Amino acid sequence: MMRNVALVGAGVTKFGVRKASYRDLIWEAGKACFDSVPSIRPRDVDGLVVGSVMPERTAFQSHISSLAAEALGIKPSTLSARTEHMCASGTVGIRYAYAFIAAGLADVVMVLGVEKLNQPSGDEAILNMGTGVDREWEAAFGLTAPPCFALAAQRHMAAYGTTEEQLALVGVKNHTHASKNPNAHFQKGATVDQVLCSRMISTPLRLFMCSPITDGAAAVVLAADDRARDLTDRPVWIRGTGQALDGFQLTSLHEDYAHWPALGRAASAAYRMAGITARDVDVAEVHDCFAIAELIAYEELGFCAKGEGGRFVETGRSDYGGDVVVNPRGGLIGCGHPLGATGVAQAAEIWSQLRSEAGARQTPDAAIGLTHNNSGMGEHVVMIYGREPA
Amino acid sequence: MTYVRAIDPLPLESPDHTKLHEFYAKLADGRLTTTACAGCRRTAWPPRGFCPDCGSDRFEWVDLPREGTIHAFTIQEAGLPAGFAAPRVFAIVSVGSHRIFSIVSGADAGQVAVGQRVTFQPLRVADGPKESPRWLVGFTLSEGKA
Ligand SMILES: [Zn+2]
Repeated sequence: MMRNVALVGAGVTKFGVRKASYRDLIWEAGKACFDSVPSIRPRDVDGLVVGSVMPERTAFQSHISSLAAEALGIKPSTLSARTEHMCASGTVGIRYAYAFIAAGLADVVMVLGVEKLNQPSGDEAILNMGTGVDREWEAAFGLTAPPCFALAAQRHMAAYGTTEEQLALVGVKNHTHASKNPNAHFQKGATVDQVLCSRMISTPLRLFMCSPITDGAAAVVLAADDRARDLTDRPVWIRGTGQALDGFQLTSLHEDYAHWPALGRAASAAYRMAGITARDVDVAEVHDCFAIAELIAYEELGFCAKGEGGRFVETGRSDYGGDVVVNPRGGLIGCGHPLGATGVAQAAEIWSQLRSEAGARQTPDAAIGLTHNNSGMGEHVVMIYGREPA
Repeated sequence: MTYVRAIDPLPLESPDHTKLHEFYAKLADGRLTTTACAGCRRTAWPPRGFCPDCGSDRFEWVDLPREGTIHAFTIQEAGLPAGFAAPRVFAIVSVGSHRIFSIVSGADAGQVAVGQRVTFQPLRVADGPKESPRWLVGFTLSEGKA
């Protein structure tokens, strides 16, 4: 018999080009999380999972979970692990913690995501991102994420008539949302003209349609059934989860790069487990590493039909007053994308949205929240959260 | 930048470093090859040392066509990693029944299009340890019109 599991605390650091060490970021996220739930002290946490992608290259540091446990004064007695799944490492960590708690193998687990990506030399920071694609067959050519998602954008434009303006609107929406989030990397908002006049990165994706290289950390605490109710008056329950992979190398993915079947499968599994449909989702944090990813996510998550993603953002259906508020914290485009921290920060946003604590970013009457985290166009994780347990 | 070069993204191609070393030796001789499984004869791209279909880890090298067509492409103009210059034409090239990821060299941005024919051209990249030459699969636009 699986136990119900809930988020009982959450906190994030300021995201940006941070004058901070890897450990500073862990301290900051840990403090923000513990401050959100005064009933939990480090000694009450029996498990810790840390999502972090490349500290070996960026901070000359492995052995991350033990480092973080010591930094925060946690003495794990049920679970201590690091998760690495490129850009989805944070959500993969939340799934581990969920599974351990649901199975009765742990009771109160912190999941912390942390990344210190910026380096004294900027092109080295970008080179490090090449570790996330296949070294021998992809990174050797200088490939990092932008050209991959550019292939999807090219295809989406050719097949469905998606326009540069529609891609730009994702940038505008998420930069505008980020302007209401003091922890976001960018806070100045953006206009369509600004997005369309920003520097071309990889055709057709321009700078303001891309997430930047960002430092940051985030932490959440998960607890079982009764413990969750003891620790907070408004737990945010995990209702469903799904993960699916189509492939790792670009040449293993669906030959139509605008078609991401693994995301559809991950979403179906999560909806089925939660007993809901896409229509029930009030607020969603989706993986807009690039604007095209958000448009395809609308389609594969079932918010709109295949090919309608551009129209969906253009008609305001993914913004306040529409069908579902997508990326209220500003998404990866507005908040930045500190790899391992991103999935955990998405969960932290859903935590505050479903508790009606999101302030200027609040989605009215948010009862069901969704997070989508990917690690490439063929690898997806979806979580469903609810104000009420299943 | 010696620090970056200590571990670069280019593969180590010699018999000391990879089971696929013959692929690179043939590449240096101007041949584009891949593995054919010794058990079930399936070819794969990229070459592989284990067959998920029949479980064999034995393979032979077979030549691929030297010409292909551009299945998808993008031109990266900014934000390339250390050691790589912009602009860079990244492409998925259909070669026989396989899709190959690579770059198209020596092309003007305006000339590249989906469906365009390209020709295999070994790409000499930075030397490996002990000044050993290293090669990758590259493509150039084919002569004449598509
Ligand atoms: Zn075989």
